[in-house]
Amino acid sequence: MDIHQAIRTRRSIRRYTDRPVSREDLLRLVEAGCWAPTASNLQAWRFVILTRPDRLRALRVLAPGFIGRAPAAIVICQDVGHIEQRAGAAAVDFCAKMDSACAAQNIMLEAHGLGLGTCAVGSFEVGGLQDLLDLPEHVVPVLLIAVGYPKAQPAPPERHIEGSYYFEDYHE
Amino acid sequence: MSDSQAALTDDLFDVVGFMVVSAHKLLDEPQHYGPFRLIDAASRLVETLEDHDVGSEALDRIREEIERGKTTCMGSEQEFRTFLEGLVDMVVGELKA
Repeated sequence: MDIHQAIRTRRSIRRYTDRPVSREDLLRLVEAGCWAPTASNLQAWRFVILTRPDRLRALRVLAPGFIGRAPAAIVICQDVGHIEQRAGAAAVDFCAKMDSACAAQNIMLEAHGLGLGTCAVGSFEVGGLQDLLDLPEHVVPVLLIAVGYPKAQPAPPERHIEGSYYFEDYHE
Repeated sequence: MSDSQAALTDDLFDVVGFMVVSAHKLLDEPQHYGPFRLIDAASRLVETLEDHDVGSEALDRIREEIERGKTTCMGSEQEFRTFLEGLVDMVVGELKA
């Protein structure tokens, strides 16, 4: 699958089969995440991979956006202490979100290439997840990625390309 | 408490926990997430009861319909509204049956 096709055919998957995701594939997804662009080469991302039923069960409670029963999840965290030390306090929020988003897109495209479905989830209790995963205070969960084999491929939603871009200057 | 009752209360705790967390998150989330979380909670509740052999055909039908259409909230507001209206019609139909 070429890159353009992968980008166009990836969907947010919210219904999964019971088929487990192999450890090798999960590690490959994390590796893809690590190759994402990262501000000032910070690489402050920390990935927590969840496959145990008790972990996923707790995640379904703490993350209302974690819809369906994905057999795996990747919690994209950021070491905000590292970011602050390297880039300054003012950069923490921006770098944490941007780097997590870039890593997430790499993970989701890599997963799509492997025949896996994913869904990025932003609705979760940050403090609750820190407790659950025993994260230190300076490591903060920013985004979750549900991972599994899709039960069905949703139809592509409408995309508005025309009207979303301008050459040289903006005009209504 | 029997083992099956203990398992049921564990699973119900998850549904209640989901509702509590959802309520907290919804303070800062888009308005249309509210109805979405409510029907998702309804579906989870029915699923939990069914896992413990408590249910009915009516509940099955409602849950199936929720699962079929709940993610329309990610698309157009009108489509989601129409879906919810259909769901309410189902509930009314069951009440009259």
